[in-house]
Formats: sequence, C-alpha cells, structure tokens
Amino acid sequence: MTITAPALRTARPRGRHRHLSALLTWRGLTGLALVGVTGLAGLLAPLLTGLDPNAQSALALAGPSARHPFGTDDLGRDVLSRVLHGVGTDLTIILTAVPIGAALGCAAALLAATSRWADLAVQRGFDLLLAFPGLILGLAVTAVLGPGRWPVVIVIALVEIPGFGRQLRAGILVQREREYALAARVGGSSRARVLLRHVVPNAVDPLIVQTALALSLGVFIEGALSFLGLGVRPPEPTLGSILSQSVAYLSTDPTFAAAPLAATTALVLGFTLIAEALNRGIRR
Amino acid sequence: MRTFLLKRLPSGLLVLVLASFLIFLILRLIPGDPATALAGPDASPATLAAVRDRLGLDQPLPGQYLHWLGGVLGGDLGPSYAIGGRVSDLIGNGIAATVQLTLGALLLVVLLALPLAVAGATTRRRPVAAAVRALTTAVLAVPPFVTGVLLVLVLAVTLGLLPAGGHESLLDAPDLAVQYLAMPALCLALPSAAVVARHLEDGLRRALAEDYVRTATALGVSRRRIVWQHALPNALPSAVTVLGLQVGQLIAGAVVVERIFAWPGLGQLIEQGVVRRDYPVVQDLLLLVVACYVAVQLLTDLAYTWLDPRVRWE
Amino acid sequence: MNTVLRVDDLTVAFDGSTAVDGVGFELAAGDTLGIVGESGSGKSTTALALLRMLPPGGRITAGSVELAGRDLAALPEEELRAVRGRRIAMIFQDPMSSLNPVLTVGRQLDEALRAHGSRPRAERAARAAELLDLVGIPDAAGRLRDHPHQFSGGQRQRIMIALALAHDAEVLVADEPTTALDPTVQRQILRLLTRINRETGTALVVISHDLGVIAHTCRRLLVMRGGRVVERGDTADVLGTPRHPYTRELLAAVPRLDEPSAAAANSTPGATPLLTVSGLGKTYGSRRRSVTALHGVDLTLHPGETLGLVGESGSGKSTLARALVGAHQPSAGRIRFRGEEAGRAPHREIQMVFQDPYSSLNPRMTVGRIIAEPLIAHRLGDRERRAARVAELLTQVGLDPSAADRHPRAFSGGQRQRIGIARALAPEPSVLICDEPVSALDVSVQAQVIELLARLQRELGLAVLFIAHDLAVVRRVSHRIAVMHRGRIVETGPADRVVTAPEHPYTAELLAAVPALDAARPTTRSTA
Repeated sequence: MTITAPALRTARPRGRHRHLSALLTWRGLTGLALVGVTGLAGLLAPLLTGLDPNAQSALALAGPSARHPFGTDDLGRDVLSRVLHGVGTDLTIILTAVPIGAALGCAAALLAATSRWADLAVQRGFDLLLAFPGLILGLAVTAVLGPGRWPVVIVIALVEIPGFGRQLRAGILVQREREYALAARVGGSSRARVLLRHVVPNAVDPLIVQTALALSLGVFIEGALSFLGLGVRPPEPTLGSILSQSVAYLSTDPTFAAAPLAATTALVLGFTLIAEALNRGIRR
Repeated sequence: MRTFLLKRLPSGLLVLVLASFLIFLILRLIPGDPATALAGPDASPATLAAVRDRLGLDQPLPGQYLHWLGGVLGGDLGPSYAIGGRVSDLIGNGIAATVQLTLGALLLVVLLALPLAVAGATTRRRPVAAAVRALTTAVLAVPPFVTGVLLVLVLAVTLGLLPAGGHESLLDAPDLAVQYLAMPALCLALPSAAVVARHLEDGLRRALAEDYVRTATALGVSRRRIVWQHALPNALPSAVTVLGLQVGQLIAGAVVVERIFAWPGLGQLIEQGVVRRDYPVVQDLLLLVVACYVAVQLLTDLAYTWLDPRVRWE
Repeated sequence: MNTVLRVDDLTVAFDGSTAVDGVGFELAAGDTLGIVGESGSGKSTTALALLRMLPPGGRITAGSVELAGRDLAALPEEELRAVRGRRIAMIFQDPMSSLNPVLTVGRQLDEALRAHGSRPRAERAARAAELLDLVGIPDAAGRLRDHPHQFSGGQRQRIMIALALAHDAEVLVADEPTTALDPTVQRQILRLLTRINRETGTALVVISHDLGVIAHTCRRLLVMRGGRVVERGDTADVLGTPRHPYTRELLAAVPRLDEPSAAAANSTPGATPLLTVSGLGKTYGSRRRSVTALHGVDLTLHPGETLGLVGESGSGKSTLARALVGAHQPSAGRIRFRGEEAGRAPHREIQMVFQDPYSSLNPRMTVGRIIAEPLIAHRLGDRERRAARVAELLTQVGLDPSAADRHPRAFSGGQRQRIGIARALAPEPSVLICDEPVSALDVSVQAQVIELLARLQRELGLAVLFIAHDLAVVRRVSHRIAVMHRGRIVETGPADRVVTAPEHPYTAELLAAVPALDAARPTTRSTA
C-alpha cells in the first residue's frame, strides 16, 4: 500500500517545549497564577497571619473587620487563618496522595505490559477499584480506619490508581504497535528496554493532563469527606471542613463561606485550566 | 449477542465475587470488635458472648462469609447492628428514593450534555463555543456540595421556586414529587453532565474532522444532517462509555446530595452505617453499589456494540 | 466543443503561503483530464478548491471555477451545497476513512440521494441498489444493509464511486482514486471510471502522483509543481515529447517495467546461501478462528544478492519480513542463518528498513540516539566510538553528520528513510530486510533511495530482501524475484525472466495490471 501526501503532516513543536508553550497560553497562565497564589498563601500561612487557626473566641460569626478580614466562624475562630492553614493541609494531603496513586497506577500499567495474564489481572484490578466509585470507596475506607488524615490520603490515592493506570495502559497499547517500537526490537533492544526507553516516553503525555485533573479531584474528595464528617479530624482546618461548617450559615451569614469557597474554587479552577492548557498543547 | 454475553458476563461476575471478598474481609479487619462497639465498652463478658453468638461472630471467617453470601442470594440480609430493624427492610425503604434520584440525574445528564456538546462543537461563532467551555469549566471547578447549597440558596431561599429539601412519593403526588426531585437531581447531574458534555464535544470535533464528513460535504449533504446523522453516531459510542463510568459517580455523589436535601435514600443509610459502625448495613450496601456498577458496565458495553457495528461483527 | 467546467487563474493560499498559483483549464462535456504532480505540488488542493472544500486555513484568493455558467468560488454556501454532489462530485483517496464506519452503505447512498431532491423512500432504495449494481458490487440489493468494513478495499472504492454517481453529475473529480489499492484492484477501478465516463458522458478529472494511472484514463494532462502548471497538453504528446525539464525529470524517474534488471552491475551473489527459510508457516488468532498468513514458505538469500519479493496487500509479505527479523515467532518451519538456527529472537546481522519513514522513527529521540540505539543494545563501542560511528553512518547514507542532534520531524520523507537505513546499518548487518522501503516516497526521491541501496550493496556486499508491490521497481533492483500470493511463494526466478516470461498465472496477472507509461492510449472517448 502506498501512502502519499506526507507533506500534510505538519511538524509538531518539540516535546518539552510543547508543554511549556502550552502553559504560556492565557489558560495556562491563569491556571498557574490561581494555583500559585493560593498555594503560596497556604505555605506562608504562619507569616501572613499571626492568629492561631484553632483559637476560639467569644466573637462568633462576626463579619469582616480589621482584625478578622474575613470574619470569624461559629466558634469565633479567624476564618482567614483557618482558610490559609486549610489550603496548607489540603495541598499536603493531595500532594502526598496523588503521586502515590499515580505511581501505583503506572506500576500496574507497566506490569500489565509484561504478559497477557498480567494484563488481565491488572484490568480486573482496575475494574474492582472502579466498582467502588469515589466517595463510596471513601466510605468503605473510613468504615474500617475511622476518620482522619491518613484515611483521606489512602482514599484519594486509591481513587487515582485506575485513572492513571488505564491511561498509561491505553497509551502503551497504541505506541507499542507503532513501527519505531518494532524497529527498536529488531535493532536488538530487549523487551524491557523497548518498553521503558521507547514506548513509555511516547505514552506519558496524557498522564500530565491526568495529574492536573487528579489534583482537583483530590480537593473534591477531601471536601466531600469533610462534609460528611468523615475527613480530617477537627479542629484541624481543611478547605472541606471550613466549607461544610459555613454551609449551615449560608443564608444568615454568607460572608463566612466567601473565603473557603474562593480558595477551593481557585485551586480547582487553576488545576482544571492547567489541565486544559496542557491538553490543547498536546493535541496541537 | 450471545457471544458478547459469554465474553463479558464472566469478567463482570468475577469482579462482583472479588469485591464481595474484599468487602467482607476489610470489614473484618477493623480494629476492635463489632460486639464491643455494639454492646458498649462496659458490657460484661457474658453480654458480649451473647451478642457474638447472636451475630454469628464466633464462627470461623469462611463460614461467616458463606453465611452472608447465602443470605444475600436468598434475599435475607439479617439484622442490623446499630440502626435497628432488618437490613432488607432498611434498604427496601430507601431504595426507591435513591433510584428516583439517580435516574432523574442520569436523565438530566443526557438532556444537558447533548445540546451543550453539539452547540460547542458545531458553532462557528467563537463566543458561543467559549461560553460552553466556560460553563462546563465553572461547573467542574465548584465542589458538588457547594453547588447544592448555592442552588438551595438561590432557588429555594431567595426565589422560593422549589422546596429546599424533602421527598414525596412519585405515586402519591407526582407533581410534588417532581418539584422535590428537581433540585437534588440537578445538583447531582451537573458535574457529570459537564464531564460527558466535554467528552462528547471532543468526540464530535474529531468526527467532524474525519474524511467521511468531507465525503458527505462533497455530496451536498446539509451541515445539520452531517452533524446529527453522520458525526454524532460516530461520537456516541465513546461518550456512552464515559456516561457509564459517570453512573458510578452519580451513585457516589448521591451520598452527599441526599445529605444536603434531606433525601431519605440509601446514601443517608450508608452514611449512618459508617458513622455508627453498623457493618451489615455497610457491607450489604457496598455490595449493592458494586453490583449496580457491574450491571451498568455490562449495559454500557452492550450499548457500545449496538452503536458501533465494527465491534458487533468481530 | 461544449465546455462544462472552466477554471481560470485559480489561486489558493494557506495562512499566507500560496499552495495553488494561477491554475487554469477547461473541461468539455465527457472529456478526461489528468493532473499529475509530486507531494506538495498543489494537485490535491486544486481538486478540493474546485468544490471549495479546502481544509481550515485554506482560502481561494483569486480566480474562478465556472460550472455551467456559475462561479463556484463566489457562490453562497447554501447554493454551493446544492451544486456539490449534483453537478460536480468527488471521489477521495482512502476509501476506508472516506466512508462513514457506523452507517450502512444503503444509508450512505440514501443520504447522497436525499441531499438533492425529495424522492419517496422506496424509490431511493431502488436507486441505491441500482447504483451499487452499476459499480459492480455483486448482490447489490442484499448488501445495502452492510457496513463499510464488511467490504474489501476495492469494493469500498466502488461504493465511493457509486455515491459520487448518485445524481449524474457533469463533472467527476477523482483525487488519487487508486493510491491505496493493489495493482490488480487499481486496474479494475480505472476500468470502472473509464466505463462510467464513456457510458454516462460524465467529464472526469483524475488527480494522481502516478503517471501510469493518468496515462490509462486521461486524454489530456496537466503537470503541476510548486502550485503551478508547468506543462499541459495531450497525454500522449506530453509523455512522448515532454518539453518542460521537470516533466522530463519526472518521466526519467519513473521505473519502467521493460527496463532490464540493473542488479548484476552492483554485485555478484555468493554461492553458499546466507539465509535459508524452509517450510515457514504462521497462523494468527485463536484455534477456532485462525488466519493463516504464511503457508510453507521456502526461500534462500545469498550474500550480495537482492531478492525481490512482490505480492499484494494481505499476501503475507510483511509477516514474512517480521518473522525473518525475529519479531514474530513462526508457527512452523525454520529459518537458518549461516547454517545456524535463527528467527527465534532478533539477530544482529539481520536488520530491517521500514515502509513508513514517519512512524518508524521514535519522535522523542534525536537522530543520533535513534541510530546509536542498536549499538547500545548490542554493546558495541563506548560513547565516543558510538558518536563517531553515527557520524560515519550519516555520511554513508548521504546526510550531514550534524543531523545527529536534530529530531526526525526536522527531516523530509526521503531524508527520514535515509536515517532508517543508517539505523539498520549500524550493527554491521549482512542481511537487510527492506519492507516497502520506497512506496511512501515521491518518484524522484524513490529513485535516490534505490540508488543509495544499490551503492550500499556495492560497498558492503549486503544481501537484501527487497519487498514491494511495484514490479517495475523490483525488477530494476533485484537479481531474483519471488512472487507471493495468499501466503505462498508461487514463483521464483531470475528477475528479467520472471517479468518477461512469467510461469505462474498470478504473476502474469500482476504484470498485466501495471499501468505502463508507453500504453498511453487512453481508452476513454475523446470528445462528445
């Protein structure tokens, strides 16, 4: 069979530069700015506010003032301080959990690439994890371990496994059939070398997008578990727990919810925009 | 069709059996003893022994597992530990409400995603495409439990259009039931609708760039027919797969949504079960969720083969 | 003469760069016109511009396309739609991707029919069956409910033609209509187009990179290069006495079936076979639904010899190549290299050159890394020695050593194929398996790559298995030719003898299907 008109295939920009130039679009920059500002504020929380996030006072549900720029919560604690520390807690949790989940998922996908039986086993494993969708898995884990910080980390990590694993497995399946993989094999490279040095580097692009999405999903799961009272134990602040507290007072004291809502939305929106920017960059 | 079932059914059943193992084992790993949790920390050894005997906890694990599985298959789920009553009755009371909620949400997902995706993929006006993108991004960026509360605030408290929470039987008062259902279903549907809309939009864009669309254009087929009759059938199969995975998310999301809207369904029940450590309830509901997931996946695969003739003939 | 299509000064620009530059021609009712050119010549863009169906970014910036007194280049979209498919229809290159995979063939014909005019459903169904029958699909009415993937490649192209014929258009534009097809199928499709032109009086515009295809179907000919028409005239005149230097170059580069083999001038094959294949079999799939790709293939390859292997798609050529390099395990028979058992795993001395110069080079690696990979795999030399060897190999295949630092995407198709050859040469093989090494390239580039392979054989004494579907190319490069059909080798012999005096009927059939240039007597009627 003859294939003509190769001139129509346009040259793609370079690998690493592609991701960089994707991030330098308005989407990417907005996303980076949102995540960067929120994350930095969370990291520098002790410097930005001198108030203890857990110090209660008689001044409950106060509106914004010079001392409490975003008011106080139902127990008289400073909302700004709690939100900043909450961002810190959230980021620690998801930045621990998502890499663990990603690593486990990718390891499973690599295992699946070794043989037909391993592939079947790994696929059923993913099915098994997917059969406990998101929060349900959270409920199952907290039913065993009780609420706390580590159960949240475990839940998020487990939820992310099949996403990363399936993406990488699909990528490997496609790339493995490309002729350059056969060429490497014929050139004498071992199966493992073909997989790791040739196939995988061409299959990881979607994982970068997946990471950004996984981070925003992590924020959601933390929030939902806190909302159900199954997340990180009080009084330690997390975005989810502050939000779920404030929700009860939404009709009477809407200012309470403003700061946690803004921080959560900024983080998730930031990650989503970054994912979108990368996705467009990759497809270009 | 028969070969399809022969190929897919075993792997679905395998997942179901493995999941039942996992559920059973994990709930036995819990630190502390359910009998202690149930009878209270101050209970006498005699009381504890009696509780253990009543719940069958003194039997070896394989025996307990088979007993449980037998009960599930026979329709008798045994007594609950903490909530009170029989588990079958508890599930029976909540299941109708949850099914209404999730099916209502599923319907909304389809009704919202389809027009959004088609509008986003086919419009030549950039503002329209940008608006669709912004809308789906916004929906995806706000946690569902916040969306729910905002909906209550706007539609119920401020505008007074819909009741803030509660539930009415669909049989007794259909109009009221729909009013009660509208907001929770919408809240549950929004994130999934955004996800499905994005996938479908991407799929449609890709299909519209295919050679067969060029063929149809060269034959003088109208743009409208090309979108709906030529491109959409090609974009649907993968969108249906995504929809199938979203059903799992709907079931999970129902737990939060039922809490917000005081919806008396299984989500509330499982939450109660976890908080009060009522293991039979948790165990049976987890198995129910897995069974639903497996069934939905089978239906999705079936729909895929129906929509894509290439798979059908393989 | 009754002119149906008049194209005047047609100019198309893509984001500022001109793809088609002032093309003009006239087409009389029932006439046939060929447009020939290499990739990037603007021939396909011209075809798409006729129906104003340019891909995103493309725009007609000047000129007119006048069909029956109306300028299609200036018509409003809705009026243009009423013309497309009814007065001017188009056939595309790849019949697999050009047909909608999830709609039945009947449904697609129905869509074409209802796009113009409203006839009752039953009448449309009858017409659809009639159209399928017209293009030679057996049991036409019964097959309306089948999907495209249930037809063969040639049948799919017939269905494409049926779609284009739905409304008896005055002009039929065929863009590379047979490029994805095997020679025997190509011949059938060209005959079908010719028959339609003769029977229905539809004027035909055939766009092709293959002069042979144009010579067989078209009375007149345009030669395009860089968006411009460089030569035009009667096909026989242009091919017989080309005036423009480019046309002459193009004609000289086309391999002719009647030219004798040039292989003997390169090297003299050694006496003892290097590679011996006996009883090789390969079966795919499960026990219940198995497909046998190779049936007891026997083959020998001598040092310094080029063995040409010809066959159509699905004949098992590529399966054989992959078994020889140890990428696929054969199900039966054995492969011996220098008398020792081989073929269970890749062998350093047996290397391969691939068809597609795009997908066979890892896009993530620099050219230097790509060529050095086999050296690393076989632990040949240290870092410095490998770099020196890469530079040497690049020079050997006619590229600058500085190419090592760049990625494959920076190179043209022909240059990429040279990189692929350099990679294959890296571990100093004695056997080179070339799987359709030139079929994705333009003819002028094709000639250069063939020349490179010949030179390498002279210098290195390589044994080459040259797999291709183009008999003219194979005859030119090979000492011997083996013909493959349905997983079997049906004939083997000296290259010139196989072409001039074929022994097997299938070989004769293949030879007859080659659209030779000197047979430039189009069977289409000239003017109505």
